[in-house]
Amino acid sequence: MSVRITGGCQCGAVRYALSEAPTEPSVCYCRMCQKAFGSYFAPLGGVPTVAFTVTRGSLAVFKSSDQAERGFCRDCGTPLTFRYVERPRISVSLGSLDHPESVLPKSQYGIEGRLSFFSTLTNLPAEQDEPELVRRIAASNHQHPDHDTDVWPTKGREP
Amino acid sequence: MTDMRLTGGCQCGAVRYVIRETPYQVGICHCRMCQKAVGGPFFASFTVKKGSIEWTRGSPAVFQSSLKMERGFCRDCGTPLYNNWTANEVIHPAIATLDDPSSVLPEFQIGTESRLAWTNDLAELKAMTTDDIFKGYEALLDEIKGTNRQHPDHDTAVWPPGPPRAS
Repeated sequence: MSVRITGGCQCGAVRYALSEAPTEPSVCYCRMCQKAFGSYFAPLGGVPTVAFTVTRGSLAVFKSSDQAERGFCRDCGTPLTFRYVERPRISVSLGSLDHPESVLPKSQYGIEGRLSFFSTLTNLPAEQDEPELVRRIAASNHQHPDHDTDVWPTKGREP
Repeated sequence: MTDMRLTGGCQCGAVRYVIRETPYQVGICHCRMCQKAVGGPFFASFTVKKGSIEWTRGSPAVFQSSLKMERGFCRDCGTPLYNNWTANEVIHPAIATLDDPSSVLPEFQIGTESRLAWTNDLAELKAMTTDDIFKGYEALLDEIKGTNRQHPDHDTAVWPPGPPRAS
């Protein structure tokens, strides 16, 4: 049974494929992951390096220490990968998967960095987006769709 | 006049900012576009006037995710920095890029039609500290700390501090 799990950045300049399902997906709240993701945590799932292929473009890499590399898209900034340089594994950001609902984190790491109010976030009051604004964004959306494409972008981008 | 002064920036420190306004409209957005921008399940941000944020080091790169929206990030390390509705007079910096991300509390959530089910239960998962994770690998953790290239959570007169440290 062959596995093919795809994902990529927001603009579509970088696309990747996994030939194995990520194991031990997790979220990490350490301050380094927070900064790399501009978020309260980094959601990551790892595969053997040989099971990860960049299928379009290339990763930009920031070496956050001598031991760790963080891959991202230089055109739109999406955080995409994390790896320890001396290990034969690479993790992808779960939000960059085409089906982020399909890989469930199992553990929390770096719990010392978790903000006190974190567990209450999904209980916050939910507000509705403005329908007209949503329609106008959808009409000019430059985000790559959540599946592979033969050609991207499909047309010139308006200024 | 306000005495408010909030500082922040990207992971590598190439881009730094100061905000001189009390943040308002603090919330998280689960929409698929915000998910992709941060590589995670939601974008946590707040609101200030565009005139209240000053880029004190470097400048963000920008991706226009739609005709309505620009997303700022660091071209050197990728940190997502803000959302900007181009027609509006306000900007939405990413909370976690603040030097003190605990200083701003989210009050609402939007884009809940795209909320990932696993987001709800994250705080219930098995939890480990960084020291727990590196038990038996203390030398690796020491090397990460000793060669950490992340900008500290305060302004610096000079950055990076010197030539790359030897490993």
